[in-house]
Order: sequence, then structure tokens, then C-alpha cells
Amino acid sequence: MVAVSELREMFEDAVTARYYEERLQEEYLEGKQPAFDISAGPIPGELHLAAGQEAAAVGVCQHLRDDDTVTAPHRPHHVAIAKGVDLKRMTAEIFGRETGLSSGKGGHMHLFDPDAGFACSGIIAQGCPPAVGAGLAAKKRNEDSVAVAYLGEGAISQGAFLESLNLAAVQQLPVVFVIEDNDWAISMPKERVTDVADGSQRAGGFDMPGVRVDYDDATAVYDAARDAVGRARAGNGPTLLEVQVHRRMGHFMGDPESYRPDEDVAAAEQRDSIERLADELRNEDVPDDELETIREDARERVDEAIEWAKEQPEPDPDAAYEDVFVNPPSGVTSEEPSHELAGGDD
Amino acid sequence: MSGTDDRVAVAASDAWPEDVEEEEGVVVNWFTREGRHVEEGEAICEIQVEKVSVDVPAPADGELVAVERDEDDEISSGDVLAYVAPG
Amino acid sequence: MAQEERRQAVERELTMSRAMVEGIAHEMREDDEVFYMGEDVADYGGIFDSTEGLLEEFGRDRVMDVPISETAYLGAAVGAAQEGMRPIAELMFVDFFGVAMDQIYNQLAKNTYMSGGAVNVPMVLTAAVGGTYNDAAQHSQTLYGTFAHLPGMKVVVPSTAYDAKGLMHNAIRDDDPVVYLFHKRLMGIGWLPAPDGPKTPVPEEEYTIPFGSADVKREGEDVTVVTLGLHVHRALEAADALAEDGIDAEVIDLRTLVPLDTETIRESVAKTGRLVVVDEDYQSYGVTGEIIASVAEGGLADLETVERVAVPDVPLPYARPMENEVVPDSEDIESAVRSAHDA
Repeated sequence: MVAVSELREMFEDAVTARYYEERLQEEYLEGKQPAFDISAGPIPGELHLAAGQEAAAVGVCQHLRDDDTVTAPHRPHHVAIAKGVDLKRMTAEIFGRETGLSSGKGGHMHLFDPDAGFACSGIIAQGCPPAVGAGLAAKKRNEDSVAVAYLGEGAISQGAFLESLNLAAVQQLPVVFVIEDNDWAISMPKERVTDVADGSQRAGGFDMPGVRVDYDDATAVYDAARDAVGRARAGNGPTLLEVQVHRRMGHFMGDPESYRPDEDVAAAEQRDSIERLADELRNEDVPDDELETIREDARERVDEAIEWAKEQPEPDPDAAYEDVFVNPPSGVTSEEPSHELAGGDD
Repeated sequence: MSGTDDRVAVAASDAWPEDVEEEEGVVVNWFTREGRHVEEGEAICEIQVEKVSVDVPAPADGELVAVERDEDDEISSGDVLAYVAPG
Repeated sequence: MAQEERRQAVERELTMSRAMVEGIAHEMREDDEVFYMGEDVADYGGIFDSTEGLLEEFGRDRVMDVPISETAYLGAAVGAAQEGMRPIAELMFVDFFGVAMDQIYNQLAKNTYMSGGAVNVPMVLTAAVGGTYNDAAQHSQTLYGTFAHLPGMKVVVPSTAYDAKGLMHNAIRDDDPVVYLFHKRLMGIGWLPAPDGPKTPVPEEEYTIPFGSADVKREGEDVTVVTLGLHVHRALEAADALAEDGIDAEVIDLRTLVPLDTETIRESVAKTGRLVVVDEDYQSYGVTGEIIASVAEGGLADLETVERVAVPDVPLPYARPMENEVVPDSEDIESAVRSAHDA
């Protein structure tokens, strides 16, 4: 049984995340019609939206603290929201503004919020080793914080993932690996790229528990994550979770999805994790107008973040040269080595 | 017999992607210029509607005359992109 | 037949992606042992149209979608090549080379040498390169210098459809490993509009362009501009603007980095005395330094002035004003040519 307060928070995060992706889609497509030019409009470049995948984010992050570390891949917004990333500054970053999380340098695939313990990156599976590293740091310092690495089901074919499982297991590190299985690696369906339908089975090969959670079931994710995060915090090592979700939009904005059968798209639209959470809340006698208030507040929060972001200044072009190093070398130095060699003319 | 009556229209609607409701698009690429002899079915230009790109085939053997919509021009599904003078 | 005899007054033109695909398709028809492997190359036709239409003609056995396992599938291509096949393996973005670099620089590039020539690796490694569309640090690089610097790989960088097809025929037929880097913005993709220039007439029949043959894309008397890929077109644009001020720039398209056609460059510098090198890769320890050094070695006396225009040593930033600042545009090239001319 999941406490009502927990359900409520998960519902709030899920509707926030869903509405956020829908609003970003609108903003993104502005200026890109009728000719879809990827570098036009207020959000240029690639955009990968997670509408439909909220269960994987809210069910796990509900158990996490600010000092826990999460790494996410190129489809990060729902996880960032569930983890408590600064929504305004994240949005400003997506819009490429000076006051964004990375001063406009990273964009939507490279969001870093150290205060919220969140980072995402664009190379498949490469968020896993740093998550293992955060777990390593926690263990070395005798802290009970945990690390969570999110990845897609396409990423399980990548060496970095497998190496990370192994390292986390043999070192007994406090890491939870969360595979978001949405069946599609861009246009490649899961069965074409792996023989193992149930990715959680791989865990056994690395001597850790593996749990697979059925489609779009946030409370089932919550239950599985409670065990996994609990294990990690208690010093009992890593766990692999595989969460089935539906990707409601294309791989990236601009993806015509011509490779995707219509039935698949229809199925995605029918099973909605948010509606399931709403039903669970109703079962706990939470009235519909309270649910509606949560939705309205979420919309307001998202709208506010987007309006704020759009008012932020664009970065100065010369800012491109900063932040390569925190301690930029100055080239030729007049500093001498601090150690004096014994002189030759003693 | 000469004149425009013989000309066969290269209609955007012949190539317009099926599942797409959008009525506006853009010409992405021409693969030939006026004066070239084209064969029926040969891809002579590429249009993009929303995110879908499709090739536009020549409707007949003949000379491509009178390109009506250039690259980067916006188009509607009812537009004529060019004419082919059969022969 | 009248139709066959009819000489085409106007040729058909192809986008760079279609020219590449035409070359690949021809080679695949001629030789069953040529096959293509990569991510989203089958139904999707390649994220940047590199295999558009090939699945329909050749099927999944020869146009293979692979899991996201660059080490495994690039290495598998090396192995298949060593068995005598002719694979073409694709890195979706050149930036992904990192996850598979051992198979590239230690196996593909070195097995011929380490075996004393007993084995060879007749494969092509294709990869999409380049920025200018706000894809940030991990998806916008060209890495020309990285691949050219490490011994054992031929490196090809086409800038036009005509060059792309001829170089592709050559690449597939080459018995050595060829790294074929195609710029995303030159492909002719609807959502990533190309400049004028890469779409050219392309012969229907097969033809090869030899490696180590730079192409003078614009003759000029005053300043030599050496470049590759997207910046060939930005340099030509700059040259048009400069011509209005009476500055006559010669634009040389390298076409291949390995082997490098130093002769064409030196001949040009002997004529103009002024060298401007333009590169979309990081400045330090890369293409611009190499071109200048090779000219200095062979023809220092001819060299009066040197300018280089490259991406500074910073990761590619996401936001538009910053990316525009660091990736050279035709105005940056113009400015460097004027500097060289006035020096």
C-alpha cells in the first residue's frame, strides 16, 4: 500500500512532467513550420520528450533525497522534475538563456543541477559510470546516499552499461539502475536489437537483484524502487530495475515515426500512467476537484517557468570562451616551481 | 500543335504524403532544372510536409519546362510545382 | 534509339546524400560482399539519409540495423573485413567514436601494420560530422584532426555531391580502411537546409575520384584559402564578397586529409604567397597547424603570411549566439583573407 501523501506527490510530479513536455512541444515547433528547420525557433537543435514515461521517474525519485545523485540520458525532463531540479533555470537552459543551469552552454541534453543531485548527458549509457562513481564516493565517505542511473532499453547493448553493472556489483556500491523500456531505440524495436525480452534478467548475470515492472504503473515502480533504494542505503549493493513505459511522442521532435506501426502509437495513447495514478487516488477517496487543483497548479507552475525563461537574456557570444576550466591557465607564466633545486655553484 | 495545352502539370498533390493532414509544405530540393528531359516516374524534386520528406515523380516523359516553385518556396497541397512538355 | 542518343542539355542534380547512396548501391550490386551496418540504417534510412532507399533494394541481411554497441559492431566490421568482406559501418554521429575508439585506432587502423601486411582491412567507416544547428558539445564535432592524426586510416571529407559519389566508389574499393566523414548540413536534408553548392550534377555511371587529390573549387591570384567540408561553401561565399573589393581568392577543397595533397596547396601558395586555412575542428594540434606546417616545410620561401580560422579550443556551446561565435562563418573567413591580403 502506498501512502496517499506519496501518491499525491507522484501525481503532482507526473502531471507537471506531462504538461511540461506538451508545452515544450508547442514552443519547440514554433518557427519550425511549414519548413521544419531544426535550428529555427526559440528552442533550436534536438529535443527528446518523455511524455508517457512519467511512471519511471516519479516512482523512483519519490524515494530520493537532494543528496542522492541521479544521472539521466537525452530524454531527461520527467526525471529532472521528479528529482526536484530548479524548473525555471532548467527551462531557461532549454531556451539557451544566460541564466540557464549551464549558462546556455549545455541545452536540454546536458542539464546539470548539483544542488538537486541531477545530471544528464547525450551519449547512450555514459551516465552509468558517473552514477557508479557517485555511489563510490558515498561508500568511501560512509554516507547513506544512493545513486540512480537512468537509461533506455537501447542502452543495455552498450559496454558502459555492462561494465557499470559489474563494477557496482563487485564493489557493492549503492546504485540503482533504472531501464526505461519504451520498446524503441529511435526506429529499432527492442526485439531487433536484443534476444532478451526481459532486461531485468541480465541482473542475475552480475549477481544483483533484477525487477521488471509492468507498463505505466507508477505504484509498482514505487514498490520496486523502495526495495532497491532501501537495499542500496543499507549498504547491500546495487539493483537493476526495468520499467516498461510508453513513448507517446517521436524519438525526437521532428521524427515522423514512419517506422512505428499505428497500433503501437494507439496502445501508447491508451495506457496512461497518470490516469492510473488518478484512479489510485480516487480509490483513496481523494475527490476529483482536488485532482483538478493539482493539475491546475502544475500547469501554472510550468507556464510560469516558461514565461520566465523566455524573458531571460541570451548569452553574450564571448561567454563561449569561459568555463572550459574552473582555473583557466594563463599561458606563459612567470611562476617558478615551488621547490628549489640544489644549486650547481655551491 | 503547340501551346500550354500539351503540358502536363507536376502536381504537389500527386506526391503529398498520405497520413498527413497538413496542407502546407516546402520545396526542399530540385534534382533538375528547366530544359532537362525527364522520364516518367523519375524523382525530379523533393518536398517536405511537416516532418515527412517525399519525392515528386515526373508525371510523363518529356522536357521539364516552367518550374513554378523554387527551392525553399512554401507550397500548398493544391499547387503546381512545374510542367512537363511531353515528348 | 532516339532517347538514348539524345544528349542531355541539362544534367540531373543530386543532393550529397543521394549521390553517396547511389555510389553505395552500385557497389552493393556489383559485389555481394559489400554490406552496410549501423544504427537506424534499415527502415529509417539513416538519421542523416545516408542509406535512404537501400533497405528496399537489398534487404535486412545487407542493410543491417545493429544494437547500440559501437565497440561490437565496428569491431565486427573489422573482423569481417579481415575475412575479405567489404563492410561499411556507420557511426551515427562521429562524436560517438569515443565508445569504440579501441576498435578504430588500435584494430582497424593498426592490424595491417602489426601483421606486416599479412592481413588488411578493406572497410569503410562512415560518420556524420559537424555542427551549426545547435546540437551542443557531444553532437556537433567534426574531429577531422583526430582521425587524420592517428596512423593507419585514410580520411575522406566530401563537400559536394559529385565528389561524394566518386570518393565513395573509391572508398569501398580501397583495400585499406577509409574513414568517410560526411557533413550533416551538406546532405540536403529537409530539416537541416544545405547551402547552395553541395547539390551538383552527378554522372549516372560509376566513376572514382582518387584520394590525395585536392580540388581547386575557385581559382584566384591573391590569397590561397584551404579548407574542407562545409567550409568549402562558406569560403566560396566569402570569395564572392571579396571579389567585389578586388580581392581574388583561390579556394582549395582538400577532399581527403589522408592522403593529403600538399602539392596543390604548395603550387597555390607559390602563386599567392598568402595562406588562409579554414577548419571546423578545434584549432590546436589539428588540420590548420598541419597544412601550415606542410607548406612551411616544402615552401617556406613562398610563404609571406599565414592565417588560420578554426573552432577555438572550447566544447561546442548550445545557445545560438555562442555557437555562432565559435563556428567560423563566411564573414570570419573574409576577415582572415583581408588580413592576409593587407599584411
